[in-house]
Amino acid sequence: MIKIPTRILVVDDEKDFVEMLSLRLKETGEKVTSVYSGKECLETLDGKKDVDDIDVVILDIKMPGMDGIETLREIKKRFPLVEVIILTGHGATESAVEGMKLGAFDYLLKPADFKDLSAKLEAARKRRDEHKERIRMAEARFLLRKVGEI
Amino acid sequence: MENIRLLFIDDEVNFRETVVKRLAKRGIVPEQAGSGEECLSILEKRDIDVVVLDIKMPGMNGIETLHHIKEKYPKIEVILLTGYAATQDGVEGIKAGAFDYLSKPVELEHLLSKIKQAHEKIRRMEEKRREAKSRARMKQQMITTERLASLGTLAAGVAHEINNPLAIINESAGWMELLLKKEELAEMPRKQDFEMALDKIKKGIDRAGRITHQLLGFVGKSDSVLSEVDLKEVVDESVQLINREAADKKVEIVQEVDPSFGTIWSDINQLRQVLINLLTNSIHATGSGGKITIILERVGEEVVLTVRDTGEGIPKENLERVFEPFFSTKSPGKGTGLGLFVTRSIVEKLGGKIKVESRLGHGTSFFVNLPKYHEIKEELEENDHFDVLGIINKGLP
Repeated sequence: MIKIPTRILVVDDEKDFVEMLSLRLKETGEKVTSVYSGKECLETLDGKKDVDDIDVVILDIKMPGMDGIETLREIKKRFPLVEVIILTGHGATESAVEGMKLGAFDYLLKPADFKDLSAKLEAARKRRDEHKERIRMAEARFLLRKVGEI
Repeated sequence: MENIRLLFIDDEVNFRETVVKRLAKRGIVPEQAGSGEECLSILEKRDIDVVVLDIKMPGMNGIETLHHIKEKYPKIEVILLTGYAATQDGVEGIKAGAFDYLSKPVELEHLLSKIKQAHEKIRRMEEKRREAKSRARMKQQMITTERLASLGTLAAGVAHEINNPLAIINESAGWMELLLKKEELAEMPRKQDFEMALDKIKKGIDRAGRITHQLLGFVGKSDSVLSEVDLKEVVDESVQLINREAADKKVEIVQEVDPSFGTIWSDINQLRQVLINLLTNSIHATGSGGKITIILERVGEEVVLTVRDTGEGIPKENLERVFEPFFSTKSPGKGTGLGLFVTRSIVEKLGGKIKVESRLGHGTSFFVNLPKYHEIKEELEENDHFDVLGIINKGLP
């Protein structure tokens, strides 16, 4: 069976981390884009950088400038279908809870277990696909009704 | 009348007994004796506040007895009785540490008021001593708190700075592991050695990561914020955070909450940490198909949060030790032994108590008692401007 790659955007100011995580994800067959700030993340999603549609964003919470929580809030406002998994370096759960409340799909503590991350990515991707499917169905019903009216 | 423990010493039996009788009528029942030697032997056996002591006695006289008293029992106050016009003796007595002297014949009212004054002095001294002691203790606590605060900041900083490179090592090791699995490297020489080393790196990362998380969870807590907390909501949130792990392990989480439960005043973030720690623990202790029950009850002015699991239970010899720092029965590298220690520190910081009950083979229950109102005001008054949450932060090693 051919695996359809999940399109992942990794956002973290720690460049070495982003680089290694991307390599690892790519090695498992995912399609990965890397950026190093919340601002770049939003620009990428905006399509300014000509990147494919993104399924899941892996988002670091603690970043200089626009932090992960702020970025997450913007993502959910402007791209509600994109799933977000947050990475937090805090042992504290505050940021995780806040992220979940803001609509993150799930959270992981850094350093994260790759198996956990993979499982969460897959689940997030699944939810995203189901969402898209529901929208397609709704649109189809809408069109059918239109056709019926004519 | 306050209970004044008095000892009356005079060799003139008639005079002594008359005074003692009259004092008794006024509510002071003294011990009595007729010599300095007897006086000292009574003091050895009894707790006495004030001694009324005649100066002129055969054998050991009053001044001599006074010296002995002051040497052995500096807290006792002594009132001397001198012969008429023998004020020189009285002055000498005061120099030797007597509270005051009275000249015979003694007026009862006068004696009574002197006794009360002496007793009052003892009371004041005692108060001062207590005050000085508590001030010293407070200062010590302040130093400890400051030390812990800076230690905490340092530890949090270090933990944080370690987590990032740790994450890089983690991803790098993981990537290498993936590469080793590739076909092109199938025939790589000594491949197993590389795999083994990578495995060790990963285990080390896991271990270090767990410790830094616990450390951050603990020390990042100094900025406690009290607010009205819906405990039911905290339970829901915590369950939501932990649910995936529970589902993975096929552990069911059930809530039993009194619908009229209401709110308490506490710190929401810390309560959440407590719940997550307890739930994580329970999930680890409970096998597939097990059940965790969360119960919220109101008992008088307290709320009781119970986390009960159907896990393997804790052996009796370990039950007392579960809250000790770095105590863990998990295999090395699996648990930090900080989880329950941190949990207890937080609960105590919030003015609550935690206890554990367990039966081998049946499961374990943790009970967290929390006050409906965290008594922050009283503590503030008692401890002046001193950081209340800091004081209680004494669970640290």
